[in-house]
Amino acid sequence: MVRRAPERDNKGSFWAALAMPMAPEKSNLPAEDAEWPSPRLRWVLLGTFLALLALIFISGAAATRTLREMHRQEQDARRALAERAQTLSKLYVSIEIYNLDIGRYLGYPPAKADPAVRQQLDRLTTEIESQLDGYPGDRKPEEARLLKSFQELYRRHLALYESALDAPLPPQARGEILTMRAQLVDGSGQLNAWNGQQLHSSDEALLAQFSRLQASLTGSLSIALGAGLLLVFASMAYILRLERQTRNRYRELAQSRHELERLSSRLVDAQEEERRSISRELHDEVGQSLGALLVDLGRLSTNLPADTSEIRERIGRMKSLAERTVATVRDIALLLRPSMLDDLGLVAALEWQGREVSRRSQMEVAVESANVSDDLPDEYKICVYRLVQEALNNAVRHSRARTAKVRVAGSAGGIEIEVNDDGQGFDPQRARGLGILGMEERVKRLGGSLAVKSAPGQGTVVKAELPLPVTAGTSA
Amino acid sequence: MRQTRVLLADDHTLIRAGLRLVIDREPEFTVVGEAADGRQAVALAESLKPDIVVMDVGMPGLNGIEACRQIRENLPDTQVVMLSMHSDEGYVLRALKAGARAYLLKDSAEADLARAIRAASEGKSFFSPAVGKVLLEDYMRTLQRTGGEDSYELLSPREREILQLVAEGKSSKEIAGLLNLSAHTVETHRARVMQKLNLHGIPELTLYAVRKGIIS
Repeated sequence: MVRRAPERDNKGSFWAALAMPMAPEKSNLPAEDAEWPSPRLRWVLLGTFLALLALIFISGAAATRTLREMHRQEQDARRALAERAQTLSKLYVSIEIYNLDIGRYLGYPPAKADPAVRQQLDRLTTEIESQLDGYPGDRKPEEARLLKSFQELYRRHLALYESALDAPLPPQARGEILTMRAQLVDGSGQLNAWNGQQLHSSDEALLAQFSRLQASLTGSLSIALGAGLLLVFASMAYILRLERQTRNRYRELAQSRHELERLSSRLVDAQEEERRSISRELHDEVGQSLGALLVDLGRLSTNLPADTSEIRERIGRMKSLAERTVATVRDIALLLRPSMLDDLGLVAALEWQGREVSRRSQMEVAVESANVSDDLPDEYKICVYRLVQEALNNAVRHSRARTAKVRVAGSAGGIEIEVNDDGQGFDPQRARGLGILGMEERVKRLGGSLAVKSAPGQGTVVKAELPLPVTAGTSA
Repeated sequence: MRQTRVLLADDHTLIRAGLRLVIDREPEFTVVGEAADGRQAVALAESLKPDIVVMDVGMPGLNGIEACRQIRENLPDTQVVMLSMHSDEGYVLRALKAGARAYLLKDSAEADLARAIRAASEGKSFFSPAVGKVLLEDYMRTLQRTGGEDSYELLSPREREILQLVAEGKSSKEIAGLLNLSAHTVETHRARVMQKLNLHGIPELTLYAVRKGIIS
C-alpha cells in the first residue's frame, strides 16, 4: 500500500545511517595492524629457543664423547704399561735364569758334554730373543734406543758367555760379565723407568684434555645461559607488549562501542525529531494549503451559475483529487508522528494504532492497558508507541498472524509492554532482524530491557520493561 | 432574528479564513472572534461568550479536546463543534466526553459546517457521514472477532426511539414531553438501553448511535 512506503523508506535510510559509522571503523584496522607485533618476531623467538636447546644438546654430546675417548686412552696407556712391565719382568727373569744356568754350567765342566744342557741354554736364548722381539709398544725413539742398547748389551753379554763355552774365560772377562750383568739390570731399570714416565706423561695429557673439556663445557654453558636469559627477556618484552596492545585494543573497543551506543541513541533522537518536523511541515504547510484549496473549490462550485455543468464537473474532479491528496499527506504525517500521542495520550494512540492495523491488514489487534499515566515524558510515549508499532508491523509482515494482543501496564517503578501474536513464529537466536535491534536500541537507551520469545509455530511475544524516572508521574 | 455567534479556533490562518468564508455565507451566523490555539480559544470564549465554538482538535499548547472540556465546564450554554482530521473512535469518543456536540471531518467541513453549527445551536448532535461509516466498520470487526452479536436487535421499538433522542442531545424531560411519558419512565428506558448495549454514559451512547447510523 502507498501508505506504508514512506515508513519503510525512512527506516531503510535510518538503518543505513546507523550502519555507516561501522565502516570507517573497519577501514582503520589495517593501519593499526602495523603496530601489532609481526609474526616474524614470534618465529625469531622460537628459532632462538630451538638453537639454545641444540647448543646444550650438542655440547653435552661432545663432552660425553670426549670423556669416553679419554677413558679409552687411559685404559690403553695402562694396558701398554702393564704389558711392557710384564714382558720386561719376564725378560729379566729369563736372562737371570740364563745367567744362573750358564754360571752353573761353566762352573761344572762335565756338564759341557751334556747336550741337554746345551739345548736348555739354546731354548733360553731363543726365548729371550723372541721376548725382545715381541716387546710391545709403538717404539717411540727414546724407547727404541733404550731397547736397542739393552739388546746390544744383552747380545754382547751373550757373545761373551758363548765364547766362554768353548774356551775357559780369561779372569778379566769374569769382571766384565759382572759389569755387564749390572748394566743389564740397569738397562731394564731404565726401560721400567721410561714406562713409568710414559704413564705419567699420558696422565698429564689426559688431565690437560680434561681441563680443555671443562673449559669448553663452561663456555658453551655460559653461552646457553646468556642466550636463555636473553630469550627470557625478549619473551617477557614480547608478552608485555602484547598485553599492552590488548589492553589498548580493549579500551578502544569499549570506547568505540560506547560511542556507537551514543551515536545510535542520538540517531534515534534525530530520527524522531526529523520525523516530527517533517510531519509538522506536511500537516501545517501542505495539508493546510490543500485544505484552503478545498474550501475555495467548494465555494467556487456553489457560486457558479446553474448552466455551467461542465466546469462544475471539472471542479468536482479537482476537489476529489485534492481530497485524496489531503488523505495521503495526512497518512504520511501520521506515520511519521502520530498526532494522537500529543492530542489524546499514549493509551488512545495505541488503541488507535491497533484499530489502524486491524483496518489495513488481515490481523485483528486488541489493546489492553492498565494504570498508564497520561503525563508520561514524551520520549517514553514515543518509545512505547514505536515499539508496539514495530512489533505489530513485524507480525503483519512476517508472521501471518490472525490476532495480536497489546498489553501495556504501568507499575510503581515503570511500564511493562507486551505484544503477542498467534503467527508462525521464528527462531530468535537465528533471525534477529534490524527491527528487533531497533526496538532494543530504543528500550535500552531509556534503561529498559527487551525480550523476544518465539519458536517456529509458536507465535511471538515481545516483552519490554521500561523503568520510569522518579520524577515522572506514576499516578493512574 | 438573533444571529448565532461563532468563535473560530484553529492554529492555521488559511483554514480559519476558509471557515470564515463558509460561515459568512450563512446570514444567520456571524463570526465574533478567531483564536490560534487552545488557550486563546478558552480565554476568548470566556470574554465573548459565543453560542458556538468551532474548534480544531490538533492545536499547539492546549489541544482542542482539552479546550472543549474547559469551555463546556465554564460555559454550559456554549456548544462546541469539533473539527478533526481523524474519524477514529478514540477521537470521537474523547471529543464527546469533553462535551462536544458535533464532530466534523476537515475534509468535509466546507459542505457540512453550516449544518453542524445549526444542529449544535439547537442542542442536537451532528457527525460527518464518513465518521459513522468508519465507526461502524470498526464495530462490526470487533463483533466478528469477539463473536458477539449485534445487541441493537435486543432493543424494543420504544427503546430505540429513546436511544435516538438521547443521542441527539435531548434531555430526559424533553423526551418525556415529546413522547407523552413521565420523565421517570424515560429514565428507566434509558437505563435499560444502556444496560442492554453495555454502554457507560451519554458519550458512549452517542458514539454507538453514530456508529449505527441512527444519527449523523
